[in-house]
Amino acid sequence: MTKQTMSRNARDNEYLHRDFHGALSAGIEYLHEQYGDDAVREYLEQFARSFYAPLTKALEQRGLVALEEYFRGVYDLEGGEVRFSLSENELRIEVSRCPAVTHMRSQGYPVARLFRETTDAVNRAICVGTPFDAELIEYDELTGRGIQRFYRRELNQSGTA
Amino acid sequence: MISCAEFIPAYSELFKFLESRGGREAVERFWEYLSDTFLGNLRSEVEQNGLRGCWNYWSHTLNEEAADFTMELDEEAGQFRIAMHRCPSMARLLELQHVEPYHDYCRHCEVLYRRVLEPLGFDYAIDLSTCGEARCSLTVTRADSGRP
Repeated sequence: MTKQTMSRNARDNEYLHRDFHGALSAGIEYLHEQYGDDAVREYLEQFARSFYAPLTKALEQRGLVALEEYFRGVYDLEGGEVRFSLSENELRIEVSRCPAVTHMRSQGYPVARLFRETTDAVNRAICVGTPFDAELIEYDELTGRGIQRFYRRELNQSGTA
Repeated sequence: MISCAEFIPAYSELFKFLESRGGREAVERFWEYLSDTFLGNLRSEVEQNGLRGCWNYWSHTLNEEAADFTMELDEEAGQFRIAMHRCPSMARLLELQHVEPYHDYCRHCEVLYRRVLEPLGFDYAIDLSTCGEARCSLTVTRADSGRP
């Protein structure tokens, strides 16, 4: 057959194009090479403060449960292995299998040297203007496995008042 | 982690960031870089399978992106065509109430694919005149298909 046609409606498929992780990684690496590591963080902060503005507002109004709901949705969609621990003042997200890094490694896409900032810088930026902050406690560059922590600012780094 | 479902706004913001650093030239250079480093799968598909490689490549990406499209491959006529009825990327950007898309967002499709396909012996044409409504069309023609 030399002539073929394919037609699809948007509702025929789920929106999940994992190769976009590789494209984002390529963008991060390009910024790093051309403009330096501060530019990577500046770009991610700019993106996060703009795109996640509704999430930041929800965090301010509803507290950490808003973040838990959001991140559960993300990891449910992408199929990561993740454990959530939520209290009034702290949310811990333990990622044992990162969907982004797992996909890039399996497809042979290079993982940007500063790819961790897509978690670290973004999480911090989401918290700007709220009583909360974020830190990336552990991160494995090879697998993306790590522990993310969101906490109320009055608490010190160890989580005690 | 930025979800792959949120990549398009991140991409659009990256174009804005680059333009703020180095003007439109900086955005163009990035698109060329991305074409050279990230579209190896399109390049190898077309090298191995000719026009059918376009069919194989976009069958994968457009289905995963839940696009609303019609795609036609006519190997005898040497032509591959996509009519994008609703581009999933631009549609997503237009749906966002709180984020403005990069002003020349759709033109990355002009630069990225032309740069892969033309050196492989294909003509590439894209009509972006209605891309502000998330519609466009692209045609890839075997460069020798009109010759006697």
